[in-house]
Amino acid sequence: MKKIFFQASLIIALFLVTWFALSKVDWIAIFYIEQVSKTMEEKLGDLFEDFFIKSGKEIQHKEVTLPLDSILSKICVSNGIDQSQVKLHIIESDEINAFALPNKHLILYSGLISASENEAELSGVISHELAHMEMNHVMKKLIKEVGLTVLISITTGNSGSEIIKETIKLLSSSAYDRNLEKEADIKAVEYLIKSNIDPEPFANFLNKVADSESQVEKHLSWINTHPASKERAEYIIEHGSGKPKKIQPILTKETWDRLKENMKEM
Amino acid sequence: MISVKRFNYEPAEHEAEKASNSYLMSLIAIIAGLPLPIINLIATLIFYLSNRKGTFFVRWHCMQALLSQFSFLPINSYGFWWTMSIIFGPESVSNNFFSYIIAILIFNILESIATIYTAIKTRKGIHVEWWFYGSLTHFICKP
Repeated sequence: MKKIFFQASLIIALFLVTWFALSKVDWIAIFYIEQVSKTMEEKLGDLFEDFFIKSGKEIQHKEVTLPLDSILSKICVSNGIDQSQVKLHIIESDEINAFALPNKHLILYSGLISASENEAELSGVISHELAHMEMNHVMKKLIKEVGLTVLISITTGNSGSEIIKETIKLLSSSAYDRNLEKEADIKAVEYLIKSNIDPEPFANFLNKVADSESQVEKHLSWINTHPASKERAEYIIEHGSGKPKKIQPILTKETWDRLKENMKEM
Repeated sequence: MISVKRFNYEPAEHEAEKASNSYLMSLIAIIAGLPLPIINLIATLIFYLSNRKGTFFVRWHCMQALLSQFSFLPINSYGFWWTMSIIFGPESVSNNFFSYIIAILIFNILESIATIYTAIKTRKGIHVEWWFYGSLTHFICKP
């Protein structure tokens, strides 16, 4: 009996040692996985940009893009995010929506900017989408919900425009799974704190839109597609308890007001 | 790891054939069982149950084949569900995942080679005992 136990332990140990030894090899690099997925993400990003951004109403007015670039820049610099990789696009639409596309394309709808009462609220949403990008949620969601085969066929040009449209719709009008959303919210709070932005207005923004959900439901894509806003607001406040010691506004009051004015005119 | 030993008695032709089939059964089931490792085990178990009243030589080899499948079930199943969670779940591929899959591939290939070798030898009436599995089979399977 002792001999059997000894032999069983030896076999288990042999397996574990083999596994451990093999894990020392960088298989990801050997199989070019990072390179392949990076290339695929870039191709998808370009395709979606062509299909969606260029066909939509992208706002390129400096008075709108510059203040938003400043907010994005502040969050990126404070959190060590390479801003040159993030491509910000502002789209003219009444919808209160923001989302991330592959290859770090960040889409903000003008409706969202109009609905934000202050820069902290808007910074919260931008941080949330940046968190999705930084944690590779976009590709994870696409692979999970669309499938690798379909994604490869899109990038190789073997799929129709309808599939591309449906895939964009999936990213723009449906949430990530609950855990990924929570992860992104918590990361967003971290980004805000490091950028000396108070996370509370972000929570208030969620509360505010949650209260008005029933009245303007059809315009609230960003809120409708995300988990219960009240619940989110609660854990944002909870994680934001370590508020930044010194809250520093990014834009001057005049710049923010002018941005809002510009939004009204559009 | 594999040794040819003398059995208690000289098995007859029909015994050698059945004993050899128990290994072939586990091998053929690998093809069907590739997506779901439990299929190998079920196939070998059914073969064992249908021969549980057979001669000692047949029972002994059916048991050795069954035990080898038993030990592969947890490691193969873990690999299978890990892969599923990557394809359909939030997990992503890692060096740890690849090393696990390569490790189970190595062990499965070694087991397949051992199975083919044993099936051929057993068909000739030669008694083959595997390291660990042989001792365990002697412990469980009595004449």
